[in-house]
Amino acid sequence: MNEDRGTFREIEHTADLGIEITAADLPGLFAAAGEGLFSLIADPENIDPRDQVAVSAVGAGPEELLHAWLRELLSQFNLDGFVGKTCVVERLTDERVDGIAHGETLDLSRHRFRTEIKGVTYHDFKVWQENGAWHARVIFDV
Amino acid sequence: MRVIKMPGEEIKLDRIEEFLWEIPKQGGMRVPGRIFATEKLMSGLKSDNSLRQVMNVAHLPGIVGYSLAMPDIHWGYGFPIGGVAALSIDDGVISPGGVGYDINCGVRLVKTSLVFEDVKDRLGRIVDTIFSLIPAGVGSEGAIPKLSKQDEKRLLRDGAGWAVRAGYGRNEDLSYMEEGGRLAGADADLVSDRALERGLKQVGTLGSGNHFLEIGRVEEIYLPQTADALGLFAGEIVVLIHTGSRGLGYQVCEDSLKVMNKAMANYRIELPDRQLACAPIRSPEGQDYLASMAAAANYAWANRQVIMSQAEKAFMQALGIGPKELGFSLIYDVCHNIAKIEEHVVDGKKQMLCVHRKGATRAFAPGHPQIPAAYQDIGQPVLIPGDMGRYWYLRVGAAAAMEKTFGSTCHGAGRMMSRAQSKKQSQGIDIDQEMARRGVVARYRGRGTMAEEMPHAYKDVADVVETMELAGISKRVARFRPVGVVKG
Repeated sequence: MNEDRGTFREIEHTADLGIEITAADLPGLFAAAGEGLFSLIADPENIDPRDQVAVSAVGAGPEELLHAWLRELLSQFNLDGFVGKTCVVERLTDERVDGIAHGETLDLSRHRFRTEIKGVTYHDFKVWQENGAWHARVIFDV
Repeated sequence: MRVIKMPGEEIKLDRIEEFLWEIPKQGGMRVPGRIFATEKLMSGLKSDNSLRQVMNVAHLPGIVGYSLAMPDIHWGYGFPIGGVAALSIDDGVISPGGVGYDINCGVRLVKTSLVFEDVKDRLGRIVDTIFSLIPAGVGSEGAIPKLSKQDEKRLLRDGAGWAVRAGYGRNEDLSYMEEGGRLAGADADLVSDRALERGLKQVGTLGSGNHFLEIGRVEEIYLPQTADALGLFAGEIVVLIHTGSRGLGYQVCEDSLKVMNKAMANYRIELPDRQLACAPIRSPEGQDYLASMAAAANYAWANRQVIMSQAEKAFMQALGIGPKELGFSLIYDVCHNIAKIEEHVVDGKKQMLCVHRKGATRAFAPGHPQIPAAYQDIGQPVLIPGDMGRYWYLRVGAAAAMEKTFGSTCHGAGRMMSRAQSKKQSQGIDIDQEMARRGVVARYRGRGTMAEEMPHAYKDVADVVETMELAGISKRVARFRPVGVVKG
């Protein structure tokens, strides 16, 4: 569904980590945000997308939905140590998102672990449209 | 009058005393803001949003007195870290953001009979053994035999007492923790399956980030009689443990924020920052949060109890000595992310308040009934960790704390540099060499975390405690120097 891959970049924060995401459409934004989150946990370069995890989330509107989506992805890591390499959004409505994360369980001997992300905060959290593109900013608790 | 210029706004402060500043009530603020900071610390504040956050907290319905900020203040989620807010239990609200994600993150200090000079050649062995017995870092689990969900619920109900009954530590340890290591109102059935799942395998683990187990030595004693009463002597080896409720606490906070966000509209509460999401204390949502927060707090006390017991085993194993010779004994355990129902005197009248301390420590004065009997004369011990390369302090609560800060004080050094900046500055530094230069044997899982946690990323804790000393809120008892550290 998302042909156009969005991009993300890290932003500075005193005690924690954040990302800003840009994409041509909302599905692209959600996919890139998920990949951005996982990239803060471990370097995607040596993650093998051997496993697939179906992830769904509900929320009222794109902001709530994105927050819920990221929380669901993060819980895959927190509960099962799953780290995604790529995220694909299969279905996105005003209130629900369904997607798949491709990755594997974190293996400290093979993967370049970066940081243990503990939570998705609402700090400075924003989803907005500008010049025809979608943007989002999220700060994660470390 | 001082004007702090920040991106997009100016904040005016009145200087009340050398160490105390006030943001006058304005706009939607229900009370003024008060910040405890020396000139030096205040000049560092203008670079972050923490002052605006102090003002936002003052919007909370039912807030009493002032929206307070301790000298280690820095910006957090909704509430600043180093924030204290007391709300009337009758018409006030409770806010999970005022507790923090890591519910009952806290610190405990353990004394030993060991002298640094006698064990300094074996510190490497001690630290290695601790590292092998206490899981730290990402994905760390398996410290204790796997719990059933039923066991876990008992743990959430009984806190540190559960750990003692399971064979970790001694019954007398419970007297040296806030609330005896257990908040009575805990309801484990209010904790979500996901939170329970996260907590199942993490009991007895340190976690990562700024959590640590440190071995320190007593470097200087300021109040000899008080130090004596606490069992401290010059050159003594002590252990400091800093950790909280791990994944369970985080999940409880997240679950609660969802509920609170929805509830705000029902109670017609409007706030400038959605991370201050709250509900009236007396509402079902407020009561549910208190009960699930208590469960998570109990998890943290049990966690610190298990870790302390494992550290004791590690010392005995490494040194080949028994418990009597080691003399491992808990001095005190303090919380620095919690909400407590407490009685305080406000304008001459006793009032029951819900005191939120987020990155702030309780500091009750001598004579307070909630302090252990053995400490009635000296006041409640307060632990103020620094960074892992420099000194840290033990203090005791004093009368001014009860008058000025609802019995609260700071909690530690506080960061002054982002993780990215710290990592940059750590590039090219041999971490082990740098720590050794500072006289510290370090064992850690993640070099990345160490790079983010190096001393250069933190404020000088001496500046932070100086403010509390000037304000008479707490009194310094001893200074310690780290000699060993275990990190995730």
